[in-house]
Formats: sequence, structure tokens, C-alpha cells
Amino acid sequence: MNMARMVAVARKEWKETVRDRLFLLMAFLLPGLWIVVFGYGLVLDVEHVPFAVLDRDQSSSSRDYLYRFIDSRYFDFRKSVSDEREIDRLLGDTSIRMAIIVPERFEERLLAGRSVIVQTLLDGTFPLHADTTKGYVIAVNNSVTQELITDFLTRTRGLVPAEARRLTEPVSLETRYLYNEEVRSTWSIVPALIMFALMVASPLLTALGVVREKETGSIYNIYSSTASKAEFLVGKLAPYFAISTINVGVLWMIAVWLFRVPFKGNIAVFFTASMLFVLCSVGIGLVVSLLVRTQMAALLITIVIAMVPTLLFSGLLVPVSSLSPGAQVQAHLFPMMYYTDVVRGSFLKGLGWKSMWMDLFALAGFAVVLQLVAYGLFTKRPKT
Amino acid sequence: MNTSPTQHSALSPQHFDCVVKVSGFVKRYKKQVAVDGVDLEVRRGEIYGLIGPDGSGKSSLMKAMAGVLTYDEGTVEVFGTLVDSERAAERVKQRIGFLPQGLGLNLYPDLSVEENIDFFARLRLVPEQELAQRKARLLAMTRLDKFRDRAMKNLSGGMKQKLGLICTLIHEPELAILDEPTTGVDPVSRREFWAILAELLQEKGMTALVSTAYMDEAERFHRLAFLSGGKVLASGMPTEVRSLVPGSIVIFEVNPQLEAIALLNKSFRQVESLGPLLHVFTGTADQSEARVQIEAALGDLVPSGIRVDQPELEDVFVALLLRNTEHKETPGGLPTSAGVTNHDGSAIEAEGLIRDFGSFRAVDRVSFRVKQGEIFGLLGANGAGKTTVIKMLNGILSPTEGAGLVAGADMKTASGTIKQRIGYMSQAFSLYMDLTVEENIRLFAGIYGLDNSAMNKRFQWIVGMAGLSGYQSSLTSRLPMGVRQRLALGCALVHSPRVLFLDEPTSGVDPLGRRRFWEILSRLAREEGVAILITTHYMSEAEHCDNLALMYAGRIVAEGAPADMKHHVEQEAGRLFEVVVDQPGLALAHVRQAGLRGAALFGSKLHVYCRDPVRDKACACRALEESGVRVMSVSERPLSLEDVFVYHVMKLEQAEQPAGRHVVAA
Amino acid sequence: MIGKGGRVPEAVRLWTLRLFVLTRKELLQLRRDVPLLLFLLYSFSLSIYVSGAGISMQLNNASLLVHDGDHSESSRELIHRFRQPYFRFDGEVQDQKVGVRRLDQGTAMLLLDIPPRFHESIVGREPVSVQLLVDTTNAPQGLSAAAYASRIVGKFSFDLVASRLGGASDGGVQLPAVESAHRVWFNQEQNETWFQSISHILRMITLFAFLLPAAALVREKEHGTVEQLLVSPVTPLQIMLSKVLAMTLVIQAATAIAMATVLKPVFGVPVKGSAALFFVMTALYSFTTAGLGLFAATITRNQAQVGMVSLLVISPMLLLSGITTPFEAMPPWVQTLMALSPLRYFVDVTYGILLKGVGLELLWDSVLAMVFLGGTMFGLGMWRFRRQLQ
Repeated sequence: MNMARMVAVARKEWKETVRDRLFLLMAFLLPGLWIVVFGYGLVLDVEHVPFAVLDRDQSSSSRDYLYRFIDSRYFDFRKSVSDEREIDRLLGDTSIRMAIIVPERFEERLLAGRSVIVQTLLDGTFPLHADTTKGYVIAVNNSVTQELITDFLTRTRGLVPAEARRLTEPVSLETRYLYNEEVRSTWSIVPALIMFALMVASPLLTALGVVREKETGSIYNIYSSTASKAEFLVGKLAPYFAISTINVGVLWMIAVWLFRVPFKGNIAVFFTASMLFVLCSVGIGLVVSLLVRTQMAALLITIVIAMVPTLLFSGLLVPVSSLSPGAQVQAHLFPMMYYTDVVRGSFLKGLGWKSMWMDLFALAGFAVVLQLVAYGLFTKRPKT
Repeated sequence: MNTSPTQHSALSPQHFDCVVKVSGFVKRYKKQVAVDGVDLEVRRGEIYGLIGPDGSGKSSLMKAMAGVLTYDEGTVEVFGTLVDSERAAERVKQRIGFLPQGLGLNLYPDLSVEENIDFFARLRLVPEQELAQRKARLLAMTRLDKFRDRAMKNLSGGMKQKLGLICTLIHEPELAILDEPTTGVDPVSRREFWAILAELLQEKGMTALVSTAYMDEAERFHRLAFLSGGKVLASGMPTEVRSLVPGSIVIFEVNPQLEAIALLNKSFRQVESLGPLLHVFTGTADQSEARVQIEAALGDLVPSGIRVDQPELEDVFVALLLRNTEHKETPGGLPTSAGVTNHDGSAIEAEGLIRDFGSFRAVDRVSFRVKQGEIFGLLGANGAGKTTVIKMLNGILSPTEGAGLVAGADMKTASGTIKQRIGYMSQAFSLYMDLTVEENIRLFAGIYGLDNSAMNKRFQWIVGMAGLSGYQSSLTSRLPMGVRQRLALGCALVHSPRVLFLDEPTSGVDPLGRRRFWEILSRLAREEGVAILITTHYMSEAEHCDNLALMYAGRIVAEGAPADMKHHVEQEAGRLFEVVVDQPGLALAHVRQAGLRGAALFGSKLHVYCRDPVRDKACACRALEESGVRVMSVSERPLSLEDVFVYHVMKLEQAEQPAGRHVVAA
Repeated sequence: MIGKGGRVPEAVRLWTLRLFVLTRKELLQLRRDVPLLLFLLYSFSLSIYVSGAGISMQLNNASLLVHDGDHSESSRELIHRFRQPYFRFDGEVQDQKVGVRRLDQGTAMLLLDIPPRFHESIVGREPVSVQLLVDTTNAPQGLSAAAYASRIVGKFSFDLVASRLGGASDGGVQLPAVESAHRVWFNQEQNETWFQSISHILRMITLFAFLLPAAALVREKEHGTVEQLLVSPVTPLQIMLSKVLAMTLVIQAATAIAMATVLKPVFGVPVKGSAALFFVMTALYSFTTAGLGLFAATITRNQAQVGMVSLLVISPMLLLSGITTPFEAMPPWVQTLMALSPLRYFVDVTYGILLKGVGLELLWDSVLAMVFLGGTMFGLGMWRFRRQLQ
């Protein structure tokens, strides 16, 4: 390794990158933009479910009951209808996702201490959505029921309300939310978005940087010089590595200061993992660029790699544990999953070396393997 | 017995010391054989030339020598090291400078001139101090010092080429391998390039291996190899190569030309019409016999102004190529199509065309007129404004000022009509490489709205005209360059346009292909009355044109028929003499000092204009002898169009430089 | 009369002929790009299968640890109620700390802690609470798990109340209760593969409809062939339109392959509405997205820049249009911004036709939005393209 030659390559690459204004802008802007837009915009919670009601009872109890939904932040009241056929239409054109039908004699039956069946119609196209909504409805109904029983016992048995309540809830569940006490979805999505932002832009930047040289022929300057493969590769990657490193810092600051996500872990672990992950992401770009000949191919392949496994198999949206076994295997074949673990572990769980050495080890393994593959694929004396 | 170059190296102790030795070299790409058994040797201190059309295997050979490409059979030894692995190649790379093909493509467009040089120097570990010295000298020598900070992408073609040379030679390699360094560059820049290269090589005792597609540059090499189809057809010193095909060129005027050509074609394979003149290659070196043969072949027709010359290397190569192609593709039937339209009406009229890009005036008051059936050549350096003129006439760029009439339609108001009536073929040939020949033709036929029967008729016509039979269903990317070029021409002619625009249509095509192409063009013009406007960097091609205009910095600076233009220069500057000397670089400096400013280097020869042959000749010889340069021979030569081009451009360039005095004091 | 009458159809004939030959050219070129075609085929078959079969956003097998401080009949009964598919019992731990460490490492998601004397308290009619520790690094999943757990414990508790009150020998006492009856429409079994596989098709249509025409236009600019077209009587509109037409055809074919080989036979996705309408709508969406891609192509000079701009546009489209997360939950500004995303409308149209079986009478507003967006984008692209050529 000759440092002077390596520095010459890195300096040239840096200048070229800095002078392509759109390129530079995108390199720095995209990651920051994404974490801000998706951090605020990508809401995974099921909230504001639009719904309509059909109140066949029109009593004060039924109105009280329905107000619990109308007042909830989980639901978004759209319309009160008088005919079931209208519900069909509203569900059909997706202006509502749910409808509640309160039956006749709702008040009468409850006061008489009898049970009523309230029917909810749910749009099942988005199953997660339907299922969660169902859970909300059940929770509301359960709490209504409990109040009704308490009230009923007070009325019919002459118990004091406190005692009645003790009787109606013999076992209660006390839930403690760990790591993200207020269960904010930003807290869980923002750290994972650091992974997304690093993964999407840098392989494309790296791949196009190398393929461009292959297409124009300036790669021959390297082929025909005595610069070694390692000097070229290190020099070539250095600027992209530097850009991504700066981005790691910026993204970290956005997460901590803008989104107020607590950073509970060890900063050294986080940055070590980030460096390893950046090495992996530029490594992916490098390997793609050495396998293809045209920028068009490099573009399509890196975009698809960046979008599909990063979105679906990294734990960003879907926890790896709830994937099917086949999909889990696929998740383990990309470095994204391991890094997502480390980022969430560092931010939210406050974990250190001890708990995450496996992930770090895996990342290091990917980084080394990718660089070795690139080193093996790169030849200064090609066949064509 | 020998001319200068070998004598020069004979003085050095390492006489016939081999720098590169290639034997039995074979390179295949998948199943396609690119180079098929080549042997050659490059000796220390010489400029070795590889000549041949695109796809003849030059680039593969050069890359393998530079250690950047594997090969399949044979051996390549560089500096005594067998280059057969990446590791072995590394050992010789520090001593080699390699310039890949493509004008400026290996440079970094966003870096400045100086940053480009610095990068190459640092990559080669040139010490900073030495770098500063070399850079200063090379920049001064190439007149790029004023543009140190300009981004490479903003340089003109000629400047990119010179920068590429500096970057390749900044580490002072012992062997420079330059792949088509002059392609796509105008003649003046080309000359300057050769002068700089020759000076640097001599000064540092470098060896150079240079490839080119310009046959006229062959004279500049000490030794050369002519490649075609992956094989060496001829090699040796230019004189040796020339003697492989003894013969002479007979030049004369005869009327009617078409009839004469038909007669001559019966007994001669190389008949070329250059404007009113015919050039015929005869297989005999005896000049009077050649003359007799021509007169015999012409029968009743009487040639006038007969001159017999030694053949140029290009003629020799064509003869060699013809000898190697078993069956001659008969150019014969240019199938005649619909009745000839009027030959007299003017096809293009440009009146004071001006085009500004921001504050930059790309085209400045350009006016000219082209008649139906006329071939009009637009010459000029890269960036002189030729392409902009064509784009305005084509109706894809609107002029800032001025007016024009193309194919009877006003270019300002009727660009739609113009588009329907013209054909256009660009430098890149602009074909769809992933379509077949037939698909390409049918695409353009559809675009021009031909119905099925017209399409089929025209398709047959194009296949016949361009010699495409057998290629109909081949992919365009797999066609040889010459065929691809004729296909592009066919596509441009699919709708029988009355005016044809050709923007550098012949780059990268072998001489045989070029001649074939020009035969088609002259028939189109003569028989069908198509008006043709063409730009080219090959000055030998410009001879084919009926009229020429030379553009410089957006203006037309000279125009007329080729003969008139030559005559004009002769009147202004004097007659042209060719001086053969042993140290051309030194000689040029002395001759210029002696007051003969029009002198220029032409390969290893000097071209000097003399108003008063006797006095000037004596003056020049005296100057040369005083400085110790040996003069081998002095002979008068007819002016070529390249001489005319160089004369005009140099005059204008020097007039622009405040310090420069007029070259040709008249 | 003849002159006028004959001229107009001639102009129309020429116009359509030119469009036709240019479109055919695009298709021929695509046919020669074998690797790209293979990749396209993979994207619309195997890739859809993997995503449809593999991804589930619903709570599935959440790993549950238990610290049972009681080891009684009641505690076992409660633990037994936490079961698949939502929860997966992953063993007992000896004390809470060990459990928390497992949560830290991410090898378990929930820890249920049952206090000592649990059974005793129940029998003695004293209120008792069990603790649930939830890993909420993935907030929605954590919430969802907590909700299921609370439902289970609630039911457990309610059953106790009912048996107690019933056991108090009042005989057949009735308690007031609001019971839930759910009817899930359009996808009764809440089969997530339907949702995921359709989402993935939309993702792929978007990627290809955007990138293919954009790359084709930039390639034409880079290779200089666009110049050759411009000196011919072809108009910029025909150049752009032919690319859109060709790519739309290709995407239609790919979508049909995906429907015929994966969606219907493997996943059993019902096509409740009109299949023809679905394909017409896919064509409209491809056209709209292609317009977006072509606009991107006209503002960039080379493939690298097209790549960057595509990333800039495609990622929000894919993430925020409602194929990944529910659209209604997005903050208002995102919903406003996404009014510009054609995918946002196409999602409604696709699910509407395929799963709900509705037709244009309900979807017309989404269709209008796509037509409008596509027209605008195409117009802007045309305007940029013309300007650039000057």
C-alpha cells in the first residue's frame, strides 16, 4: 500500500464528487430528508380509523356509547347513517373502514341487565388494520361492560361502588412498556430510518461512481498505472465512506435533537456498528458495479436491492421474528437486519458491547466478505 | 540508403533494441476473433504506427501491450518482460504511458486542467518539484498554460487531446502507447499534436506506439503495421510498405465523367472521382506506361490535364485491402429511383445566419448556397460552428438572426415541411444498435409515413444501394463499421429526400468503406440530383466536394471549389515545396527563423511556401545547412486541401495572438 | 371537397403510423434486453410469491416468557390462554431479571410475571394484578401484543366474575354486557397474503412504470438517437407517448403473468370486480407513473442523476401511499402531499376492484385524480422536453 497513490485517488474522487452539484446535494440531502419526512410521516400506528354509525336505538345510552368512539383518537367519525345499504357503499369506496351498528332496544336491555350484541363491520382489505381496529372495539366494549356491571351491582345489590369494582375486576393486567415507555412510533421508526437512509443512497452513489469510470474508459488510467488494487479500492471508496460517515453523525443528531429519541446506549458501539454498516453498504455498491457494465443495469439493481430487502426484510416495518421461515432466511442474508438491531438496541435499550457483540460480529463479517469479493472481482487486466 | 529515423537510432548504442515484441498474438471476445496471429516488434526510439479501420484489432493489441487486457494465444514481451499475468504486467507499468481511445474520455471532466495533470502525476508518484517543472514546460509547449484552471469539460477537442497527451507522458515513460489520439480532431490540431509528440519523444528518447484511422498520418511513422480484420496486411517502413504494391496514380479530367468511370471500372479496381478529377491507381510504377494504360481504357474519351504521381499510402492500403477481399462487392447498381428532379434549383440558401448561446456567438453571419445535385463541404475545427449551422438548417435550432431556405421551404416558418424533405445522418450514425438492419429501415420508413408497398420498394432499393443483402436480419451492433455507415445513409434516404445533411459521416470507417461511401454519394448527387451538405475532418474527402466553405470561430473565412481554394492560397502564399531533412523538428525552427513563416511539419517532412522558388529555396537550404541539418531532397508538390486548411487556420490563429506576427508575409 | 376530406384522414394516418412504428421500436428494443426481461419476470412472479407468503405485519408468534411465582392451577390456566397464533410460549424464567435480559437481547418480546399467592388471592376474592413487560422498540407490535394480552386477561377476569356471581347461587343471574360481533368484509379470513401480494405488485408496477420509460428516454439522449428522430417529422409528443405506450403494454403483460401464475392459483386472491376494468386501470396508472418518470428524465442529464431523482420520488410513494401502512393514520401534511402520488389513488382502485368488487360508480374520483395527475405530469414533461431540445 502506497499512501501517496491512495490519497491521490481519494482526492480526485472527492473533487469530482464535490463538483457534481446535483450528486452532492442528493448525497447529503436525501438521507436527512428521508429521516425527517418518514420520521414524521410514516405512522405505523392504526389511528384515525374512519367510521360510520347506524344507531337503531337512538337512546341516550346508545349515544353515550357511541361517543366513546367519536371522542377517541383511534377513530375518526365520518357519518351517521340510517340505512345499512349506505354502509355498503361507504365501505366500497373506502371512505370508511368500519361501521358500528347499535341494535334496537339497546338501552332497554342493558338496563334490564341483559347483554346486547353490537355489530361492527370491518374493511378486511388491510388485515393488520382490521385486526387492530377489532382490538380497539373489544377494548371499548370491555370497559363499557365493566362499568355496566359495576353500576348494575351497585344498583341491584346495594354495594358501594368501590367494592363493586373490586368484585368485577378480580385480575387486572399491569402493563409496563420497556424501552419506549410512551410507545411512540417515532421512537421505534426513527432509529431504523438511520439504517434506511444509509442503505438507500450509498450503494447507488458508489456503484455509479465506479461504473461511470468503466463506461467512459478513465478506469484505464488505473489499470495502466502501478497503483495496486487495494490502493484504488480504498481511495475510491474513501469519499463515499466519508460522506456516509458525516451522514451517520447528521442522522444521529436529527434523531436525538429533532425527534428527541433517547440515546441510552454506548456511543462507541453505535459508531463502530455504523462504520461497519457503511462499509457494507458501499461494499454492496462496489460489488454490483464490478459485476455490471452499464450504468442502467447498476441503477436498476441497486435501486431494487435498496428498496425491497431494506423495506421488507430488515425489521424496519415488520419484525424479523414474524416473517415466515423462508423470509427469515432471506433477512439474515443481508446486513440490514443486524444493523437495525444495533441501532434500536443502542438508542432505546441502552445496550452495550456485551449484548450486541453478535450483531457487530455479523456486520464485520459482511463488511469483510463484501470487500474481499470486490477485491477478488476487480482486476487490472480484464478479459474484455 | 535510409531516411532519417533509422539513421537517428543507428547512432544510439542500443541499435535495434526491442522495446515490445509480440508474436502469435490472438485475442478473442467470446467466440469472435478480434486479433488473429499478429507478430510485431517496436524498437527503442521509434514511432511505431498501427493503422487500420475500427474493429481491426488495434485497440486490443495496444491494451494487451499496456498490460490492461488478457489475451488468448501468443506472447507479448515488453522491456524483456513476458506480460502474461497481472503480476508480470505490474512490473512494466511504471515504464509505460497508456492513452486509451476516445477523445478526452479518460480525463475527469469536472477537474481542471491542472488538477487532471496533478492526479496523473501523483498516481505515478512524480516528485512534487519535478511535477511543477514538467507541468510548466508541457503546459507552455501545448499553449494550455492560460487554461490551467479551466474544467476539462469546457476544453475544445484539440485541447482535450493535448491534455490527454500531457497526462499520459507526465511520468516520462519509456514507452508511450497512444490509441487513436487524433480521431475526431481537425487537421490543424492534429498537426500540432504530432509536432509536440515528436519533440517530446526526441527530447526524452521515448518510444511511441501510436494507432490511427487517418491513412495520411501513416507517413509520420518510422515504421508501421497495417491491420485489417485482426491480421497484419503489411508492415515495415513507409517506403517499404509502399513498395509492396508498385503502381502509380494517374490524375486527369475527362468528360462525361460517369461514362468514363464505367469504362475505367472494367480494367481498374481503384477509380475515384474527386470533384471534376478522376484518380486511378494503376498497377505499374512506370509513369508513361500508366498513362498509356489509362488512355487505352478510356477508348474514345480524351482525358485532359493528365498528371502521374507516386501513390499515397492510402492508395496502397486500398490496394492491399482489395487484394485481400476475394470477391469485390460491386458498387455497380445504384438502383435508379423515381425521375430526377430539377438539377438546377437551389436546395439550400443560407442568408446571414447568426446563432447566439447566451453571450457566445456560435455562428456569425453565415451565408451560402447549395444547388440541387451539388456536394457542398463545410470544413472547420471542432467548435467552429459547423454542427450549429446544420442544426439550424434542419429546423431543430432556431437562428437568432438570418434566414434560410431548405428544399424550397423557409426554415423559420416551415420546419415541418423541411423535416419531411431532408435526410440527416450524424457522426454517431444514430442507429438503434439493438435493432436489426430491417427493423431500423422499417422504423424510419414508418416515421416518414411510407405505406407498405412504398416501404417494400424502398427497402429493396436501400439494400441494393448500400450492399446490405445478407445483413437484413443482423443486429446493427454486430455490423462492421462500413456497413453500419451505409445503413445509416440508407435510413437517411428512406423517403427520397431532396437534400441530405451529413455530419462527419465517415469517422472510423476503413478507406475502402469510405471510398464506397463516396461513390454512393456522388451517384446520388449526379444521377438523382440530391443536394448534399457534408462536414468532415478527412481533408482527402473534401476533395470530393464541388464546393467548400471553411469555417473558423463561427464565420466562413474561405469558400469556393477545391481547385479555386488551392489556387487562391498559391497566389497568396506561393508554391509549395517539400523538404526532406534528417532532423525535422530542428529544421522547422530554423526555416521559420529564416523568414519562411508558412513552413509546417508534415510527418518527417517540411512543407514550405515559396513565393520566389529560387531565392527562398536557397535561403532555406542555407539556413538549414548552417544549423547542421542535412537536407536530403527538395521537391515541389501540388497543394492538398489539408495544406489549404492548415494555411488558413494558422493564419487566423496567429492573427488572433497579439504577439504573433503574420505567418505569411505577403 | 375531396381535397379537404382526403387531407385530414391522411394526417391522422401519418400521426398514428408514426406512433405505431415508434412504439414497436421500443418493444423490439426491450425484447433484445434479455437480462432486463428476466429481471422483470422475476419481479412479477417469484418476488411476489416471497413477499406474499413471507411477510406478515400482524402479530405472529410473539415470543413470551413467563415468570410464574405461584405455580398454581390458576396461574397455569392463565398462562395457557396465551397461545398461538399471537403468542408463542418460550419458556419460564426463574426471576424477572433474567427475563429482562432476554428482552434486552431481543430474544423475547414479552415477559408475563405472575405474583406469588395468585391463586390464593383469587380464591380469597382479593384483587390481584399480573405484570406484563413489553418490548416496545417496535411500537405498533408492542402495542398490539399488549392489546391482545389485555384482552386475554380481561376475558379471564370476566369469566371469574361470571362464575362467581353465578356461583353465588342467585341462579342464572344476568349481567349487562356489550358484546362484540364482528363482520369482516372483503377478506373474511383476514388473509394477509392477499394484502401483501397485491401490495407487492403495486410496488413493482410503480418501480418499473417509473424507471423503464425514464431510462429509455435518457438512453436515447445519451446515445444521440433522439437527434435523428428530431430531424424527422416525428414530434416530441410522439417520442414520449410511444415510450409510455410500450412500457404500459409490457407492464400489463407482466401484471397478467403475476395474476395468472401467483395471485390466483397460489394465493387464491379473488377477482371480485371486473378483470377488464382492473387492466384498464393498471394501464392508466402505468401511464400516470410513466409521465412522472419521463418528467424526471427531462430534468436530468445522465443515468446517475435519473437514479437519484427516482430514489427521491419513489421512496415516499412506496412508503406513504398506503401500501405499507394505513393511509388514514398519516399526519394531515403527508396526506396532502400524497395527493400528488398516483399510487395513493391506485391503491383504492386496486383493492376496490380485486377484493371489494366495486366498479367505476364508486371509484370515479380516484380515476379522475389519476387522469388529472398523469395529464399534468405528461404535459410538464413535454414542455421540459421541447424546451430542452431547443
